[in-house]
Amino acid sequence: MSTHDELLDSIAVYALGSLPRGEAATVRAHLRTCPQCREEYDALRPAVDALALSAEACTDGRSGPVPSQLLKARIMRTVQQESRPQAVAQSRVRPSWPAMIVAAAAIVLAVVTTANNLIMRSDLAQTREQLAQVQTQNAGINRRLAAQRIMIADVMDTSAKRFPVTGGQVIRRNDHLYIAMDGMPLPPKGHIYQAWTEHVGAQKMAPSITFMPDRSGVALVSLPVNASTVAAIAVSVEPDGGSKAPTTKPEFVVKLT
Amino acid sequence: MSEANGSEVEDAGRVMERVRERDGAAFELLYDAYHRLVYGIALRILSDVPTAEDVTQAVFLKLWSTPQSFVSGNFAAWIARVTRNRALDVVRSRNVRQQSEVPETMPADDALEDRAFSMLDAEFVRSALARLPEEQRRPIELGFFGALTHEEIARKMDIPLGTIKTRIRTGLRKLRAQLDGVVTA
Repeated sequence: MSTHDELLDSIAVYALGSLPRGEAATVRAHLRTCPQCREEYDALRPAVDALALSAEACTDGRSGPVPSQLLKARIMRTVQQESRPQAVAQSRVRPSWPAMIVAAAAIVLAVVTTANNLIMRSDLAQTREQLAQVQTQNAGINRRLAAQRIMIADVMDTSAKRFPVTGGQVIRRNDHLYIAMDGMPLPPKGHIYQAWTEHVGAQKMAPSITFMPDRSGVALVSLPVNASTVAAIAVSVEPDGGSKAPTTKPEFVVKLT
Repeated sequence: MSEANGSEVEDAGRVMERVRERDGAAFELLYDAYHRLVYGIALRILSDVPTAEDVTQAVFLKLWSTPQSFVSGNFAAWIARVTRNRALDVVRSRNVRQQSEVPETMPADDALEDRAFSMLDAEFVRSALARLPEEQRRPIELGFFGALTHEEIARKMDIPLGTIKTRIRTGLRKLRAQLDGVVTA
């Protein structure tokens, strides 16, 4: 293979975003001077961008996870606090001469202060972004704590429905579903555990979350699904990144109905 | 066509102009149309619901606080890039290892990637990906969603580096060929 053919392979890896920074700088510089490689890059970029679409969450949760309804409420609370108020209709009054002089003075003043305003607006945007980041971090911490409290309460609840599986159990309480494993072996290198959910009335398993046990073999996983819609749960070993359909025999399959 | 590529928001650029004027209703329109795309990307990369929600929240609040960061082009493509970069930052902050570089946006003259995004939907891309041989699909997904360098992908799959690079290129070209029928139609 010629050096330039090898470079074309590197262009593809660069477009994917998988070149280390040093090599990426070399490729970026080459792209500026080589029309053939630039053409290859431009041809591959739409394919790379389209990959993101494959991860779009589904609308009903039957074939993939959906974001929490509470998430929108949290975001919109912040947005509504900062939204501009409704515009007030202005009355049309014929201005008098003194009023026009005052208005002219106001325009001059506005012109003088515009430059300052532009600078202040830039500072304000930065401050807003910093504030949003702090709010996001705080909300994230609070949400994680709340989620952990709910998870502990669910798992400890003696009235929770428990489904024993090899090396652990599947726990259902209200609309929540958990996989609680103890002594789960680490999967082979390059692999990960993946949960699968079979929804009521569905013909096949849908991919759910991937997870790894800790070094002591403990894993406690909250499944992002409404438990009342699920008929069965399975867990299998899959290649890193997960699979669209099970590629290995499941570690366990448990029916919840 | 799915909501994520903007059919619900006919002209996201105009809606963004209203967002710049602090119009909360306009922002809500964008959230409703694109939150599944943002959350889906974040969850696929992070495999963790709370952190994926954190990233989703961060992306939308950044959109609200600095709407001028979107200049032009296809909004869905733009917000997908922002989300992926944000999620990859979280992955990188967890791992101390060699970091890959996601190329900055270098739009082609006709902004073909933007057109591709506006004319595709999730199901089409999923089925296009599923048609790739596993040996090409897996390194592409590990690179895009796993933030792995080609060397890390080669180690993980126990395959020579040169072979991995060729498989990534071949897979992306096949994917592009499948998109061609849609994008250039």
